[in-house]
Amino acid sequence: MSASTQEINNLINKEYKQGFVTELETNTFPPGLDESVIHKLSKIKNEPEFMLEYRLKAFRHWQTMKSPEWAFVKFPPIDYQAISYYSAPKRKEDGPQSLDEIDPQVLEAYKKLGIPLDEQERLAGIAVDAVFDSVSVATTFKGKLHDAGVIFCPISEALRDHPDLIKQYLGSVVPHTDNYFAALNAAVFTDGSFVYIPKGVRCPMELSTYFRINAANTGQFERTLIIADEGSHVSYLEGCTAPMRDENQLHAAVVELIVMKDAVIKYSTVQNWYPGDKNGLGGIYNFVTKRADCRGDNSKVSWTQVETGSAITWKYPSCILTGDNSIGEFYSVALTNNYQQADTGTKMIHIGKNTRSTIVAKGISAGKAQNTYRGLVKVLKSAENARNYTQCDSLLVGDKCGAHTFPYIEVKQPSAQVEHEATTSKISEDQLFFCQQRGLSAEDAVSMIVNGFCKEVFKELPMEFAVEAQALLGLSLEGSVG
Amino acid sequence: MITALASRYTAEYPTIAPVLCGQSLSWLQQLRAEALSQFSAQGFPSPREEEWRYTNVSAIEKKLFSPATSIATSAIDKELLKSYQLKDAWSVVLIDGHFSAEFSVLEGLPEAVSVLSMSDALEKQPETLEKYINQAVNNDKHGFIAFNTAWFGDGLFIHIDAKQVLEKPVQILHLATRADVLTATRTVIVADQMAEASIIETFVGLDNAYLSAAVTEVFVGANADVTLYKLQCESEKAYHFGGTYVQQARDARFTHHNFAFGGLLARCDIHADLDHASECELNGLYLGVKRQHIDNHTRINHLKPHGISRELYKGVLDDRARGVFQGRVIVAEDAQKTDSQMNNRNLLLSNDAEADTKPQLEIYADDVKCGHGVTVGQLDEKSIFYLQSRCVDEETARNMLTFAFANEMVDKIKIKDLHDKVLEQVLVRFPQEGVNKEWL
Repeated sequence: MSASTQEINNLINKEYKQGFVTELETNTFPPGLDESVIHKLSKIKNEPEFMLEYRLKAFRHWQTMKSPEWAFVKFPPIDYQAISYYSAPKRKEDGPQSLDEIDPQVLEAYKKLGIPLDEQERLAGIAVDAVFDSVSVATTFKGKLHDAGVIFCPISEALRDHPDLIKQYLGSVVPHTDNYFAALNAAVFTDGSFVYIPKGVRCPMELSTYFRINAANTGQFERTLIIADEGSHVSYLEGCTAPMRDENQLHAAVVELIVMKDAVIKYSTVQNWYPGDKNGLGGIYNFVTKRADCRGDNSKVSWTQVETGSAITWKYPSCILTGDNSIGEFYSVALTNNYQQADTGTKMIHIGKNTRSTIVAKGISAGKAQNTYRGLVKVLKSAENARNYTQCDSLLVGDKCGAHTFPYIEVKQPSAQVEHEATTSKISEDQLFFCQQRGLSAEDAVSMIVNGFCKEVFKELPMEFAVEAQALLGLSLEGSVG
Repeated sequence: MITALASRYTAEYPTIAPVLCGQSLSWLQQLRAEALSQFSAQGFPSPREEEWRYTNVSAIEKKLFSPATSIATSAIDKELLKSYQLKDAWSVVLIDGHFSAEFSVLEGLPEAVSVLSMSDALEKQPETLEKYINQAVNNDKHGFIAFNTAWFGDGLFIHIDAKQVLEKPVQILHLATRADVLTATRTVIVADQMAEASIIETFVGLDNAYLSAAVTEVFVGANADVTLYKLQCESEKAYHFGGTYVQQARDARFTHHNFAFGGLLARCDIHADLDHASECELNGLYLGVKRQHIDNHTRINHLKPHGISRELYKGVLDDRARGVFQGRVIVAEDAQKTDSQMNNRNLLLSNDAEADTKPQLEIYADDVKCGHGVTVGQLDEKSIFYLQSRCVDEETARNMLTFAFANEMVDKIKIKDLHDKVLEQVLVRFPQEGVNKEWL
């Protein structure tokens, strides 16, 4: 093994800085899942009746399903009865009305993560919804957003305050019957963010949700619903971290995006769940269903994801391009190290005329990790002049890791143009040598090359999140963002 | 899972078994018994299996194709046979799955080369065949392979001794003459070290519904070079399964040219296992018209370092045809310095045509150069415009470009006579107005 490979390893083996545990008094359900748990959950969240019914319907359906096995990931069967389905920091009766009322421990935890919830301290222009275990603890800039007509609140609050919107849209993109984990999520989801951008509004600031798992033996099941009405525009970012533990924890989220005519949603994820230790012990199972429905003409969805954490990442942010001229984009960097496994990619379903999609997926696999791109591009007969461009590149670091590419391309429309390209290689010695010969240290050279490899994706991350994204990235890639 | 329909084949098996070749060989009987029990348990592959996702063969189960026990020489269309037989080649003819000495041309075959019918070979060289049969299909155990292992009635055994260079190609011509006939053949090709040979498999049939289930195992010895051509022009009512499984030794070279033109439903497997510094080249052209369903499935398994593989499959799909391409490249942990490139290009000519493609890379080594590319689309409007601006009318321009797209694969054929025959087949399948130029 050459010296340069050593450098790459050093670069990648950065410590997990977000692995601390916050000691808190919590209100946690005992482990186990049955209908009574769902009743209790619904009651504690003070939900309307229809929600309870929806949950029970989903739960009954989930019981008839089997855990899917087709993905290129290996894990022991999950004992769903050993998970606690609700855990929240104890708080005063009606929940915190202002920041002063939030448990200072929780505030401290977020501060440590670099996400101060104090509006004055915030980078101006980003509103944050902070989800701690099963509940949202704070949402910043609510007032300012309210003035613009934007609704940005925890989904449990939306259930109470905007039941009509929820009734109309929840489960309309990812129905509770969609897949095993989506069904489970529909039954037991606890919190998440709800965003509604009214007609013609350009959201005045970036919206962000920060997910933190803290309690042990819990699962986090969050649900995000974003509706962009006609002609609106919103940019949304989610970030996530968890403490270092030897047990695996399940995170099964569902994200639904609804994009109306001429609307644009930009959804960015910086995923940094605890990846497990060097021997593959512990870490989060990140099994997520994300889907956007471009219902209106000329609508656009752009998914950007930087996946550095989780023991197992298993998700495919998808776009259903129903509206004519609608656009779907997917930019992804997935980094796996040690024993991490990732099976991620996207689905682009072209239904409307002149729909376009772009997929740029970059996988970096190191240690003993397995990194898989799996994607579907489907062009239905109605999608005249559909256009897709896919590029998947994998970078291998070390001789024990794997990188796999499994694209599926189904075209039923002759005027469609679909292109797919994939490459797999290691950091070339020539490039390293070239950089070093120009006076760069081996480390800088590797950093620069990896940088260049991911650049196409990083440049899609919103500028405002540059600081945050950089802080969250396991790889320190100086100056790569923005 | 046993399906009631597949079990019709299983139920008929006891009446067929006694006439199959190699009755006296206990190892073969055991292989057949194992394959039969596997087939009765699984039946034919279903779209639920990932490798058969886009291809549904349940139509085969709805019919009952039965093997021919003898050759009906009278029914043979000699003209048809001649039109496919190459001039400057040794040719072996299998009619309805049985070797026909009458039509085969094997004069002047060097002694170092043996070409025997499978039933002959099993009698004369059972020990040699025991070493080879089912060895290349080792890791592939889907229903069709099991079916072929249990049902094959004849086939061919070609053995080329070390250092022997064949100056003429060997053609294996499969002809199906009867309706509802099942031809299950097993061909074993062995090229010992440093041998060189070109072999052509041709599948043709009269205008009937029938089922060809052919499995070919190829063993390319160290530093040997085998080129295998497959011209599949089955009748448009026929079902075709053709599996080619290749074991390459050190430094061995294997080139495959796959022309999938015929059949109502045709599926082709080409799987190659590569050793140290082996080279593998897979080329393919599939043309689908009417309601044809053509599926090509390739797998290149780089097991050792320094292997090179190149793959290019092109498809032209018209009418209601559906083309499927699944290509998989696996690079094992040891296989450093592998260089692999796979490409699949599809041209859709009609609103009802469909292309499904699934190229896959599975890589466990880091010092490799692997890539794949896929395109699905229609003819380039700029190219059409260019031709129109040169006084070529639009229709001719389209024909020319479609032809040129396909012809790239035809031009790779190194045997002149075969090249012309394949070209002829391409031209009859698509509008040829203005493309059939003398200079081609």
